Order: sequence, then structure tokens, then C-alpha cells
Amino acid sequence: MPVEAKLSHTAAMILQAIHAGHVYGFGVMEMTGLPSGTVYPAMRRLERDGLIASRWEQQSIADAEQRPPRKYYRLTRAGRAMLEAAYRRYPLLEKMIPTPEVERA
Amino acid sequence: MNRETLALAVVRAASVLVPRSERTDWLGEWKAELWHLCRNTHSGSADPLECSVGAWKDAFWIRSERLRKAGQGLLRPGSAQRCGFFLGGAAVATLLACLCLPRTRSLLLPSAYPDPGNLVVLASNGEAGTHAPSIRFADYREWTSDTSALFTSLAWYRPAIRDVYLIRHRPARLHLAEGSQNLLQVLELPHAALAQGSSSFRGARLILTRSAWRRAYGGNPAVIGQVADIDRSPVLIAAVVADRDWSLAGETDAILLEPEARLAQLAPEVRGFGVARIRTAAFPAPRDGWRWMTETKDGVTRRYECISVNYRDGRLESIFIFAVLLALLALPATTALPLGDVPRRRGPLPHAAHARRWLFLAAKFCLVGTIVFFVSTALACELGANDAATAYIQFGSGFAALLLGFRWILEDQRRRCPECLLRLSNPARVGQASCNFLAWNGTELFCARGHGLLHIPELPTSWFSTQRWLCLDPSWSSLFAESSTLPAELL
Repeated sequence: MPVEAKLSHTAAMILQAIHAGHVYGFGVMEMTGLPSGTVYPAMRRLERDGLIASRWEQQSIADAEQRPPRKYYRLTRAGRAMLEAAYRRYPLLEKMIPTPEVERA
Repeated sequence: MNRETLALAVVRAASVLVPRSERTDWLGEWKAELWHLCRNTHSGSADPLECSVGAWKDAFWIRSERLRKAGQGLLRPGSAQRCGFFLGGAAVATLLACLCLPRTRSLLLPSAYPDPGNLVVLASNGEAGTHAPSIRFADYREWTSDTSALFTSLAWYRPAIRDVYLIRHRPARLHLAEGSQNLLQVLELPHAALAQGSSSFRGARLILTRSAWRRAYGGNPAVIGQVADIDRSPVLIAAVVADRDWSLAGETDAILLEPEARLAQLAPEVRGFGVARIRTAAFPAPRDGWRWMTETKDGVTRRYECISVNYRDGRLESIFIFAVLLALLALPATTALPLGDVPRRRGPLPHAAHARRWLFLAAKFCLVGTIVFFVSTALACELGANDAATAYIQFGSGFAALLLGFRWILEDQRRRCPECLLRLSNPARVGQASCNFLAWNGTELFCARGHGLLHIPELPTSWFSTQRWLCLDPSWSSLFAESSTLPAELL
């Protein structure tokens, strides 16, 4: 699949971080160790390409916890398929950023 | 000022780069992230100020993405940007073409001569900017002695075509302005760059224009200072001047400055152009650059026009405006004027979309008008042998092109989506007039971005007389969404 080869390691790491439950920018930065100037533009590209989708947290939840609402990201169906393909190219990806299920196992 | 405040200031400054429509959302996300970052207590977390610097990269990326999309709009067939780009490009191209044509250029550009208001061309046939020589050589000789009260300096030239022979070069047939020695002084052209020894040369001197120099001698600098031969007389090639330095009447490749003795051999009836610097006090206040000089000789009074070289009679502009008005009046005879019913089902169009639609229409009118003006002016200036022919060519070509252009503008506007101005595509014929009774038949087109459908009746009826736009709500968008292809480069 030609598209598979085009997904860079950084993009794959960000997809894996979101898949592992780090669903906002700061969480992705913490987990991947990438600077904000790399993570945010990369997430915008992934969102533009339909691999991830974003939604704002409900204002009532943020108000209850007395903090500003955050923007959460999740993988789309295309994003999941792309991540599956990226595992074959980057076999250590799952071990670098393990999902909670893998960690439990 | 603590680090959080500083980081917020950096993010706010970066938000200027983000398009306004996305700014609130973008700023909200970054503020929330910084808030959490500042309250994250565990060790090893990023510094908020360092993190905020990344906001600039993010903002740059969003801005560059917007520019990339705008660039794609330019390339997309049928987009309003592409249409505007094409028309704008055509307007610039026609302007550049006009500037390459000598007569048109002299009309469009201001005069290259210093103090052009007091530099006049003398004419006796009452035609401003005439290209026909009208001043007799005998009159010029007479005026050199008895018009010192009127003119500070007076020169004369006549257009001629001559073969110029130069050793080691092919003979060059050049259009010359053969004139008196003081022609350059009257025009106040810089002649400091004349070849060495040209002042001591007793024969005629030839000043080549740059284009003629390149055409005839391949731009060879060695020809300057050489002696050529014209009609078996030695002529010194004294200098090369810019094409724009000569903007007087007559097609001219070179200026030939004849010595007085040789000029005196001309027949008295030979006609040319008089050029003079006037004494302002000697003439009444000019009316649009025109002055008159009267001469009474043998009981006969003759009147000569002294027309400033910067005088523009505005006749071509007036004729063009008349052609515009006439084309607008004739337009309803060639095409329908209404642009069709605007959408109502999903509510009225936003003001911005309305404004954009009308601005696009106005821009097309302006650009088409500009293109036609330049083309018709160039045709009139270059092909018109006299003032009447120039006016006819300007009017005829302008009117025909404007009528066709305006008709195209309206037809193009009717075939565009009122929301995104994309040209509608995929025409489908619906129904047949001979097969249905009181049912609708015509053509349907749709916007490729899924904004709606356009119904054009084949036969206008009392219930469906003009084209109608049917707005589609967002639930239809999946049918029209462009196939989601991943870009060549993700990161």
C-alpha cells in the first residue's frame, strides 16, 4: 500500500499515543517526548487527513472541575487502519507507547 | 510577570497568524493546554514558556495550509480565483503589450521630456498628435529668425526611410527622423553620452534607438563612433538612446542630425514637424495644452497650432466610454439580464457570500473593460492612419469586444454556485417538451461542493420563467464530498 510507506515515524507515534489514551496535545507531548512545535502541527495534519478527529469537552464538566475545557482527540476508522499498517513498518511502536490492555497483559 | 503569563502572551501573539475564523478555537486549545501544563506538578514536565514557542510553529502551519488551499483554488478548473487570475493576467498582458507598441506607449505613459508643458509640436492642419507632417521647411527657416519672441528654441525634422551602410555590417533600412542639429537640445535629451569626437565631426550624426541598434547591429557597442554611409554621405553613429527617449510623431529607429548647410539644400516645400520650446509669457494661458500662433504674410493670415507634447485630448477615453454605454444598452438584446432566483429554502445567503458574489461580478466587468480598453486603444493607435480612422477603430473594436465580453460575464455568473462561486458542472437534461404536459423540462447542473442544484427551464413558462437555484442541506454533502485521498506526505 503506497500510503502506508508515507506515514512517518513521528506521525505513527502520535497515532499510537492517541490510541493508548493520551487524548490531548499535552498528553501526547508527554508520552512521545516530542516538542509542542512538532506535535500540534502533526495533529492538525492527521486531523486534516481524517486519521484523527477532535471534539471539545463539555463545558459543564470543565466548570465542575474549575478548569478550562480541553480539546480531545480520537482515532477515526481510517486512523486505526493506518496504525495497524504502521505496526508492520515500526514493530517497536506498540512497545514504546503501550496501550492499557498491553500493559495489563 | 510569571512564566504562565509570559507563555500566554506568546500564544496570543502567535494567534495573529491564525485565520480569524479558527482563532478562538485555536486560542482556547492552547490556553487550556498551558493551564494544565502549569498545574502539572510531577517532575520532568515541559516548561510552559518553551511549550508556548511551539504555538508559533502551529500557527505558521495553519496559515501555510490556508495559503496552500488558496493556491489549489487558483488551479482548480472553474473556480472564481482561477477566473479572476486569468482575467487579471490577461489585463496585465495587454497592458505590457501596449507598452511595447510605440504609438500606444506614448499615449499611455507620461512624456519622457523635461518640462513637457512648454515643449510644443507645431501643426498647421488642426489635428492634435497628427502623424502627418504639416510644416514646410521654408516656414521653419523663416521662423528661426523671426519667432525668437515666441520660442526660446526651434527645431524641425521630417520622417524618412534610408539605407544605412556600415562596414562589416549588412545594410540596414531604418526609419529616420531627419532633423536640424539642435533637435536634441530642444527636446532636452541628455546628449552627454555622445561618442568621443562626435562634436568635432563635420557631417551628420546618427543617434540610434536601442531596439534599432540591437536589430540592425546585434547590440554591438563597437558601432558607436564609427562612420556609416547614408545616400553616399558620411554619417557618424554618435550614440544609442532608449526607445522611450523618442515619443514624437513618426515611426523612428534613429535620429539623424543634419548640419545646417546640408539641411539648407532641402526643397522649401518639403514638409516635416516643427518642435519648439515656447516662451510662456508670449502665449496666453493654454487651453488643455493648446496654443495658437498666427502669421500674416502677403495679406493672408495663417494659424498654426502649438500643441504641448504632454497634451492628451482624451478622445480615445471618451470614445471608449461611449462604446461601454452603447454595449450596456445593447446587452439585453443579446442575452437575458436576470442572474436567476437566489436560494430561499435554507434561508437567505449570508451577507459575506452575497457581497462576494457581487464583488466577483463587478471585478469581472472591470477586468474585461480594462482588457478591451487596452486592446482597442492599441488597435486604434497602431492601425489608424488619421484621427477619424483611429476613432472608428477604437469605437468599432471596443463596442464589439465589450458586447461579447459583457454577455460572457452574465452567462458565466449564471452558471456559478451562488455560495462558493464554483462553476456548476455535470449538466443533465430532464424531460422533453414534446412528451410532458405542464411538467418541467430543462437542464440541471450541480455544484461539485454540494451546495445545490441549478434548474434551467428549456421553455420559459409563467410558473418557471427563469433559472432557479435549489439549495441542498448539509445531509447531502456526503454525496458530493471529494474522495478522501491521503496526501503524498503526512509529516
